[in-house]
Amino acid sequence: MEKNSHSGVSRRKFLQKLGVAGIGATSPLFISSCSGESSRKKMKVLTLDNKLIEVDATELKIAKASNDKSYLQQEGREGIKGKKFVMVIDLSKCRNERKCMKACQSAHQLKPEQHHINVLEMEDEISGISYFMPKPCQHCNNPPCVSVCPVDATFKRQDGIVLIDNERCIGCRFCIAACPYSARSFNWTDPRDADKYKDVVYNVELNVPQKKGTVTKCAFSADRVREGKLPYCVSACPNGVYYFGDANEDLVTNGTTKETVRLSKLLFDNSAYVLMPELGTKPSVYYLPVRTNNS
Amino acid sequence: MPKFIYIIFGLMTCFWSAFAQEWKAPEEEKENVSIRLFDNEIETEGGVLFMNSCKSCHGSPTQEDFSLMLPSPGDLASAKVQNQTDGELFYKIRAGKGAMPKFGDALDQNEIWSLIAYVRSFNESYKQPEPNLEGVVIPNITLNLSFDDNVDKLVVKTLDENGNPMPDVTVKAFVKGHFGNYLLGKSRCNELGIAYFDIDSKMPGDEEGNMDIIVKASKGFGSAKVTQKMRVVDAVSFKSAIEGRHLWSVSKRAPYWLIVTFLSSLIGIWGTIIYVIVGLPKIKKQS
Repeated sequence: MEKNSHSGVSRRKFLQKLGVAGIGATSPLFISSCSGESSRKKMKVLTLDNKLIEVDATELKIAKASNDKSYLQQEGREGIKGKKFVMVIDLSKCRNERKCMKACQSAHQLKPEQHHINVLEMEDEISGISYFMPKPCQHCNNPPCVSVCPVDATFKRQDGIVLIDNERCIGCRFCIAACPYSARSFNWTDPRDADKYKDVVYNVELNVPQKKGTVTKCAFSADRVREGKLPYCVSACPNGVYYFGDANEDLVTNGTTKETVRLSKLLFDNSAYVLMPELGTKPSVYYLPVRTNNS
Repeated sequence: MPKFIYIIFGLMTCFWSAFAQEWKAPEEEKENVSIRLFDNEIETEGGVLFMNSCKSCHGSPTQEDFSLMLPSPGDLASAKVQNQTDGELFYKIRAGKGAMPKFGDALDQNEIWSLIAYVRSFNESYKQPEPNLEGVVIPNITLNLSFDDNVDKLVVKTLDENGNPMPDVTVKAFVKGHFGNYLLGKSRCNELGIAYFDIDSKMPGDEEGNMDIIVKASKGFGSAKVTQKMRVVDAVSFKSAIEGRHLWSVSKRAPYWLIVTFLSSLIGIWGTIIYVIVGLPKIKKQS
């Protein structure tokens, strides 16, 4: 519903920017043939209120469809009403296939050494068992990164997702220093395939195109979530590690099995925990501990 | 010693011949076809079942990541599987053999067909055979949903085209979620054509206590699906994640203590500076 309303706005904006949209003006060839200074040709065009009028062909300008994407910023800042997105990571299922990392890097225009999500190799000090721990941004409910940003480039939305707007980011890296989870990284060099993404309009929810000299971070795939699809990493996992969903619905869906379960039950039954709870950051990412034989 | 070798050799031959024996479906089942069209919905349904019931041995189709077993479960997108008829696949899923479980006990006919629809979605050249509908009775199922708030149960009534109760209908009820549907349960209607599903009263609905309930019913070749917004739980109010005043919020929504401390320090410092500057001429006058 949200999506439809935005697409409605965009269509209206598009038509407004187009001004008087010629019936035949959809063909660029036709416009170029009419845009000469010396042309005295009159053209019949259709106005927004469906009236057919005649204008001088020289006054016609090609509307840039790309301008129309300004709604991306607005909807990216606002978020989705009535939702509160959460992720649950089942550590006992992770086999270090790193498919989540690859899917994330290809979606967010990241180089292989840049991570929005990273799979770490862990070892439990007491039991001695080793396991793999995927670690995305924790999308804290009390985000220290947002507190320290001097230019409001990184922000939290009403649906709980913490995003970064690289058009505002000045590259001070205060947020990198403030994040206790090391979830952010800096674009020290030009991003991957910079030429290919040169003319792409910036989408704050996808954080693409990436920009040199700005900070980048996991976005909980806000663009996919808006469409009702699971995040890139969650759907790429072959081992059923990730659950993703809406805490307001108390439902989370497994990315591999597509099975939907109750969030509260899943967390309670598996003694879920969050990372560094003592810091009071209140993460939106929960971990289900590794199951050992003696536990 | 040679005797021992002979025994092992004999056993191996036995096993080998047992494994090598081709698994054939009975002729009468080979030509069975699905009466439902293999559309996106049935494929998705099959995909979910596949991930839960089949993937552990067969792996993901086209990925060739099946388990190492003897006989090999094989990749279901391979020609060996795809060259079989829908009826053969149906029989093998239903009846099972050896390590392949007998899924006929756990899944109903429609679920098995949805699995086949999912497996066929990996075969681009596959064309679904048209079913012969001659003499086939397709029951027309009508679903009537209501909620009994005394016992917190969803009541599904199944009726035939004449409005009479239809018994023995398999019914599944779901709550619609943002990313997937939560299964409330799977049940079979009683002789009065009624099936009950428990709904946890603590489950959150929307701000008016509504929930989108999806009910799917099937009997024989007939199936029906209903999506209905129902008032089944207490209304809840959702808090926005950025509601209230926080240190991390934008300056407009900064905590009052921060605004007061900041402004009073600012006024204090500038006030002192201005006081000193204003006082300077007075010092000069007195001297």
